[in-house]
Amino acid sequence: MVDLFLNGFVSVLNLETLLIILIGVALGLVFGAIPGLTAVMAIAICLPITFGMEPLNGMALLLGLYIGGVSGGFIPAMLLNIPGTPSSIATTFDGYPMAQNGEAGKAFTLTIIFSFLAGLLSFAILIFVSPLLASIAIEFSPFEYFAVTIFALTMITSLSGNSMLKGVLAGCLGVVLAMIGMAPIDSYPRFTFGFSDLDAGLDVLPVLIGLFAISEILKAAENKDDQNKKRIEIAYKLRDIGISFREVFQQKWNWLRSTLIGVGVGILPGLGGSTANIIAYATAKNQSKTPEKFGKGSPYGVVATESSNNASIGGALVPLLSIGIPGDGVTALLIGGLMLHGLNPGPLLFEQHGDVMYGIFAALLIANAFMALLLIIGMRFFIRILNVPQHLLLPIIIVLCVVGAFGVNNRLFDAVILVACGLLGYVLIKLKIPIMPVVLAFILAPILELNLRRGLMHSNGDWTPFVTSPIAFVFLTVALISVIVAVRNNMKRRRIVGDQ
Amino acid sequence: MMKTSVKWTCITLLVASILMIVFTTNIATPTFGESQATVSEASVESYPNQTIEVVVPAGAGGDTDLGARLLSQFVGEELGVNMVVSNIAGAGGSVGSREILDARPDGHQVLFFHNNLLINKLFGVSDFDHRDYKIAAISTFDMGDTFIINADAPYQDAVELADYAVENPDELYFGTEVGGYTHLQMMAFERETGASFRLIDVGGASDKIVALLGDQVDVIPIAYGVTTDYIANGDFSSVGVLAEESRELYDNTPSMVEQGIDIEFEKFFFFAFPKETPDEIVETFSQAVKEVVENNEEYQSRAESYYTIPEYLDGEEAFEHMEGVREYYTELIQTLEEDES
Repeated sequence: MVDLFLNGFVSVLNLETLLIILIGVALGLVFGAIPGLTAVMAIAICLPITFGMEPLNGMALLLGLYIGGVSGGFIPAMLLNIPGTPSSIATTFDGYPMAQNGEAGKAFTLTIIFSFLAGLLSFAILIFVSPLLASIAIEFSPFEYFAVTIFALTMITSLSGNSMLKGVLAGCLGVVLAMIGMAPIDSYPRFTFGFSDLDAGLDVLPVLIGLFAISEILKAAENKDDQNKKRIEIAYKLRDIGISFREVFQQKWNWLRSTLIGVGVGILPGLGGSTANIIAYATAKNQSKTPEKFGKGSPYGVVATESSNNASIGGALVPLLSIGIPGDGVTALLIGGLMLHGLNPGPLLFEQHGDVMYGIFAALLIANAFMALLLIIGMRFFIRILNVPQHLLLPIIIVLCVVGAFGVNNRLFDAVILVACGLLGYVLIKLKIPIMPVVLAFILAPILELNLRRGLMHSNGDWTPFVTSPIAFVFLTVALISVIVAVRNNMKRRRIVGDQ
Repeated sequence: MMKTSVKWTCITLLVASILMIVFTTNIATPTFGESQATVSEASVESYPNQTIEVVVPAGAGGDTDLGARLLSQFVGEELGVNMVVSNIAGAGGSVGSREILDARPDGHQVLFFHNNLLINKLFGVSDFDHRDYKIAAISTFDMGDTFIINADAPYQDAVELADYAVENPDELYFGTEVGGYTHLQMMAFERETGASFRLIDVGGASDKIVALLGDQVDVIPIAYGVTTDYIANGDFSSVGVLAEESRELYDNTPSMVEQGIDIEFEKFFFFAFPKETPDEIVETFSQAVKEVVENNEEYQSRAESYYTIPEYLDGEEAFEHMEGVREYYTELIQTLEEDES
């Protein structure tokens, strides 16, 4: 294995391939950093370009884009409170407050360090134990998926802010939005009101970008006078980027836990980076001794989300590289990239194209290093964005959001969805209803419904396998406990508030 | 006064945003809300004079997408223009197909799709099919649709599978996509052999592989090309391809027909224009497809590496072929409905 590895590195360590990886990562970071444009889009656009490349170079480009695209999202999340990609949604919770407190430099540095380390660990897991993990993932039937999704949904309780009721309400709203379009399995159109444009349902990206970016821009438009000055002041405080070794070291368990969550969620098809960062954040908050600091600029929150989203890359690649199965939208495109070059994805990839596969591992590790390097160099320049007056910056971001929404499916209708969700998000902010549960429910509800119905098809309408399957039982129990604990804490908190 | 650095940042952002727009919108002509204007004489003669957008009503990276990208490259060269692929996925392909239904009939937007166009209407997912388009050509066939089973199953060919499923009705789990192409294949097999399976929805091709690997289902209907590794590996084996004859491309797997079970499912890929498109334009396009499919050896070998068979049918032949297929599917669905009632 060691010499296969060395061969892999040798095949990547030439000027051309290194340059391709560098360009891929840089372009990916740009796509990640721009709200509305994502890693999926970057890869979809570049897929045809790889047509004319060597197989390994083509894959190196796509993987560079993937790593860059997932990593770049934290920049606008911290500076503007607008997540650049779905996988950095939770970064806004603590990253933005940190920047507002004048700790943008610290937040950036922590992100870069832990993104890099999480990537490293997740690729190590991918390289050394992926066949084992893949064989576990295969055992997941609809019953287990259902239970895991229920468990993930209970995270709403940790993301609800002060009012559990409003959180649940927001979750229900997310489910309602997810119901629009053709039902899974029997393709029955629901809530389409005869509009054929709604047949395919609402796409995740326009909904997310609308709820987070457009609503944030509308909010910024409210206080048009005082915002500019404040932001420029914050920007200059980036200069002190130093963090102590101790500050890094005390994140070790948080990092490890979040990375493992990222890998685990990444492996399961359908969930991926956009869910991983939310779950890792909620878990970090639940495990913390000082959960009240979360949401006010806690470095733990930043490290949790930024470790988990990078770790989800390694996770998503586990089923792809070990048994040839895509885990999410990005890896489905990567399979296309392999097939373009006549590499048929499957369990024999390593036997038949071992040279390319070990080259891919090497390319991943190098791309991960390039990502950190580019971010360190670029850090000072990103912050300049804040120097741009908001009346110039925000309209440009709106335009890019529209382009991104359109680009998902080449449909103008998605841009309409974007604007509608933006208005919805603004109303929610005004009503002090948290947006996060809407998003989590919107992503998870279709997975939940699909697996519930598939499970019932399997068992011929019998519900017992949902609890008798050991894995499902564990997840459902944990879900139940976490709901009970959350409700109890909520009641306790209310009593304290009531006493005061 | 703005500082110069601020000004430059603004300019950079603007340029970046313009570039992004150019990059992400691979679109030749805007399609929203314009009238179905007839195409002028002059533009018919000068066709094609701008980039042609190929709408693929499926996600990037799948077999339809790869086939479309491959053909676009060569047909574009033949026509002397760029052809770009736009993926408009959703609702079993009906969202993207509708896009072309409503497109400007000047030949610069074309649909590339397969059998599902017909199936969507028959299952009520959409309200239009091939009759609502002007079909330019069928370019490619995939004749390697097959039923795959675990290699250690007690039945190893189509006849044994049928016998087992007749003796043990509803015992074997058949993993498919409800209301999809492969669902029809199961119905055809059941009708032809008297077998009966338990229908389980598992999703697309890769989900089917996972379900079979994880022993959640016993039989999956799938394209031979995506399972070759698992067959070579000794995990899976094929009970036969759903075609008239066995082919070298699919490792000479015996066909169902050769085993005495008369079912044929050939996946065909076609190009279609909006109904009002002038015949001359469709003809120009069709001839370019013909040239590539029949004479371009590089294309042919690439197509075969995707386990598809390059074979050209002109617009009329293609339409006739689809009519025949439609009749077969309709009949299949009717027998099923009669069984249920």
